[in-house]
Amino acid sequence: MPVIQGPTSGDAPQTFNQPSRKGKKAWRKNVDVTEVQQGLQDLNEEIIQGGVIREKDSKDLFTLDTTRDTTISKRLPKHLKKGLKADEIIAARSAVPAVSLRKRPSKTTDGILPVKRQRTDWVSQKELSRLKRVADGQHDNTVEVRDATYDLWDAEPKKSEVQIDEFFPEPVHAKTPKSMKQAPLSLLANGKTEAAVQRPTGGYSYNPAFSDYEKRLAAESAKAIEAEEKRLADLEAARVRAEAAARSAAEAEAAEARANMSEWEEDSEWEGFQSGAEDGRPTKLPQRKTPQQRNRMKRRKEEERLQKHKAAMKARRVQEQKIAELAQEVSEKEQLRALMRQQRALAAGSDSEGEIGEQKLRRKQLGKYKLPEKDLELVLPDELQDSLRLLKPEGNMMRDRYRSMLVRGKVEARRHLPFKKQAKRKVTEKWTHKDFVI
Amino acid sequence: MPRIKKKGQAGAAKNYVTRNQAIRKLQISLPDFRKLCIWKGIYPREPRSKKKVSKSATSSTTFYYAKDIQYLLHEPLLQKFRDQKALEKKISKALGRGDVGDAARLEKNAARPEKTGKPRYTLDHVIKERYPTFIDALRDLDDCLSMLFLFANLPSTSSVPAKMIDRCSRLCLEFQHYLISSRSLTKSFLSIKGIYYQANIKGVDVLWLVPYKFNQRVVGDVDFRIMGTFVEFYMTLLGFVNFKLYTSLGLKYPPKFDQVMDENAAELGAFTLEGLTIAGTENGKQIESSTHKPDPKVQAEVDKVLKQIGNGEANDGEDTTAQDEAAEEEKAAGELDKFEVAAKGGDVLPQPEASDSSKRSLFANTTFFLSRETPRQPLELLLKAFGCKRVGWDAVLGDGAYTTNELDPSITHQIVDRPSTQAAAEASEDAEDNQTSQKLAANRRVPGRVYVQPQWVWDSVNDGEVREPHLYAPGTSLPPHLSPFVKSVNGAYDPTMPLEGQEPELEKLQAGSDDEEGEEDELAEDMDVAGSDDEDEEGEDAFGGFSADEDEEEEEDGDASEDDRQAELEAELAGGAVNSKSGDKKTKAKEDARKALAKKSREEAEDLERAKGMLSKKKRKLFEQMQYTNNKKSAEDEKLRAKRRKLEKEKQRKAKA
Repeated sequence: MPVIQGPTSGDAPQTFNQPSRKGKKAWRKNVDVTEVQQGLQDLNEEIIQGGVIREKDSKDLFTLDTTRDTTISKRLPKHLKKGLKADEIIAARSAVPAVSLRKRPSKTTDGILPVKRQRTDWVSQKELSRLKRVADGQHDNTVEVRDATYDLWDAEPKKSEVQIDEFFPEPVHAKTPKSMKQAPLSLLANGKTEAAVQRPTGGYSYNPAFSDYEKRLAAESAKAIEAEEKRLADLEAARVRAEAAARSAAEAEAAEARANMSEWEEDSEWEGFQSGAEDGRPTKLPQRKTPQQRNRMKRRKEEERLQKHKAAMKARRVQEQKIAELAQEVSEKEQLRALMRQQRALAAGSDSEGEIGEQKLRRKQLGKYKLPEKDLELVLPDELQDSLRLLKPEGNMMRDRYRSMLVRGKVEARRHLPFKKQAKRKVTEKWTHKDFVI
Repeated sequence: MPRIKKKGQAGAAKNYVTRNQAIRKLQISLPDFRKLCIWKGIYPREPRSKKKVSKSATSSTTFYYAKDIQYLLHEPLLQKFRDQKALEKKISKALGRGDVGDAARLEKNAARPEKTGKPRYTLDHVIKERYPTFIDALRDLDDCLSMLFLFANLPSTSSVPAKMIDRCSRLCLEFQHYLISSRSLTKSFLSIKGIYYQANIKGVDVLWLVPYKFNQRVVGDVDFRIMGTFVEFYMTLLGFVNFKLYTSLGLKYPPKFDQVMDENAAELGAFTLEGLTIAGTENGKQIESSTHKPDPKVQAEVDKVLKQIGNGEANDGEDTTAQDEAAEEEKAAGELDKFEVAAKGGDVLPQPEASDSSKRSLFANTTFFLSRETPRQPLELLLKAFGCKRVGWDAVLGDGAYTTNELDPSITHQIVDRPSTQAAAEASEDAEDNQTSQKLAANRRVPGRVYVQPQWVWDSVNDGEVREPHLYAPGTSLPPHLSPFVKSVNGAYDPTMPLEGQEPELEKLQAGSDDEEGEEDELAEDMDVAGSDDEDEEGEDAFGGFSADEDEEEEEDGDASEDDRQAELEAELAGGAVNSKSGDKKTKAKEDARKALAKKSREEAEDLERAKGMLSKKKRKLFEQMQYTNNKKSAEDEKLRAKRRKLEKEKQRKAKA
């Protein structure tokens, strides 16, 4: 008997009691494989019992017994005694030798003893907190850091040679909108974009010339004084306002008190006074215009128009007559404008654009938060040193760069949030006092 | 009746979107949106009328152009952001379930692109898009360099990872190496904020600010996420710019980097530049294998440069070839054109500066030693960028010095910033003993060496010529350090220029008439100018490396000037009669000139008055105000000039006496 029976008939394997071949029961996973499994089990048993029967030679299985054995009757007792089933089972030994359980030393080692640890796949607390941060979206830079290996600006754009196949439409690439090329919104009052790094003037030198330093010191102190004065004025104004409010509140209170004192209102309607009764004059309703009136209006309008036209024509004629004069006037104006420009250039120091100096900011801020104040970058006179070693640098470059980005409109100002927003807590009293019984 | 239009359906309302709308459209988080906007160069905009655009009442809404946001939808980075978001979700899910191991595995796989096949992204395409040409990139280099130099000098914190700082400093050092080998640094300025540098790269002036070492405090009110995003972008940009600059010089990029030297604070010394020839075959292959093929023209040029380098090596050292090349360049360039002002009173045109090799190799043939109290990094860069080959410093300042032995006989200049150093009196006896020992006693000098304060280097570089070292000797009060970035205004007082060059005519005339001596003084002045020239030359000689104490030097100066004075007096005696004859004529001519000038100024004033009459009241006010401030300024300048004139005259008198 073969261990694994092939399909006995030509049809496909069938499920148990397959009523139809359309439902889920017809799926492959429901195919009945008990036969196969049975066969495999049989095979295993056979192997354990000493080898697959089918593969054995017929000599091993059968012997031709031609002569009778005379000793049998002597060897076997008369009444064959049947042993216990349990004994039989225990006595049955597998033909396959058992796997030896002896521990052996491995052939090669690196000489380092393995660290004894219960679990090797553990995650440290530090790593866990990092993972939590990553899950919150606070991963550090994801941009891959690589050395440049090619010239970015030499790479020529590939010429499309896709004329071969006209069947497929050419892929359409998104066009860059013109608005992408527009300069960012500058926060300066004049609308010009500030230079990324402004040229320093002599006053910023670590060892400045006296005139430069004095000019800058005077300017900065004037600014500081102005700011302080403004602050004091604001304080004073606030105080005055508060006082006035208090006074008016007091007056109102007093008036109320007085009103409460009087028993009834003086001018009541009961005594024959009524407000707003006399000035209710009847208003005249607009009447419909007659055709006559309409015609008259039309005529008048036409006349006015004509007159206006005539006046304009006259003015034009007059102007035409004095064209030469006008031309001169225009040229003079031009000259004047040039003069103004020159003066302005002189006033601004001709090329002070791009130098560090007074920035006039525009009134409207961009975004929700205010632009941070500029640091005061000034060495005080008593700290002024002419040795580079003794120089104490002023200002903070980080803040300076950040502010420069904001002023140039590259990003909008943000507020630093030192803490996360905490959940609001409400304090209530436990209602145990209701349980209190006397 | 026309059809009623709904609000927010057409016009300005369609052109703008608010930030929240944009985020919803792109389906990314707010931080990611911020990043994307910074990288792609999309800035907040302001509609002309906010009321027409926004549906909400808040005035602080941020708007963007709708088309910009629409265009962002095509950005490949967006997909990466979304992938990242998906990963975050997976991780948070695993963490929520308590499968920490799973979360760690997910994260690790994402960070290991070679295993998972999901590469992290680069910003190469964004840079190409933002800066279509190399010149565009150079124009934006100001910001880039300032940021990277700043971050390179920051202490590492949780918000600024050490990796980023390392990368920044490496890129900056590579860039500095380019500056040194191309000699493109032009100016530098020591300010109270930091050190300004200006370089001329391919005709574009690049200005950047480098903070002083160990000074940067990390402040709380700066958003480091935003700054970090900018830095990531700029790091990629500077990498490509460096590549381009290096290849244009025929150098291999990236240069060889020595880790051990870097750990010993060698900074610039940790890099070794290699010509493309050394690794030519390898590099060629690499370039070919990459998808971007080099421009054939550029390749040809590079080949030419390589050939030249090869020839040079065959002939002699590098120095000779460099000099030859410089000489050839000069020959080819010939004389530069001079732009002159077309109309009188027009703008002063910037003159093309002769890129002469003398200015660029200001410190050639010198050996510097930096004492341990001087700032090494900026001095090293400046000296090397202006031709100095050998810069040594105290071992405290780090590795990579030419020599750390203060007594090295080849040292010609030493930069010190100590209060004062005494000359070694018994120099000749002690010299041999000292050479056996490494260090000098405090405040002792080595004879035969020029001692200067650090400012000398900066002032020399900005002037384009070596300044007299005795003005900058240790212990002396230094001359003021002027900003080289201030362009002198027409008519303003400039302390660096001689008085004759800058005073207007009227002032000159007045000055002439003020002093009673008349021509005699003028004559003396002329002579003195000549004398001072002589002194300058002597100073330069001294710089050339002769060994003498300063007193001696001064004595020599005195001798020379005495000789001059003698000659002066003789000339005066000889030409006295002739001068007195011509005196009347001269005074008359002066009188005439003054009259002419007065007439001219009167006419100008009249013209101005007439012109002012035509202005509107508002404009006239403005005009008058401007005139007032200008007058004030010029009065100040005049005062300063008068002061200087007085000083100079006093000096002359003293010299005469």
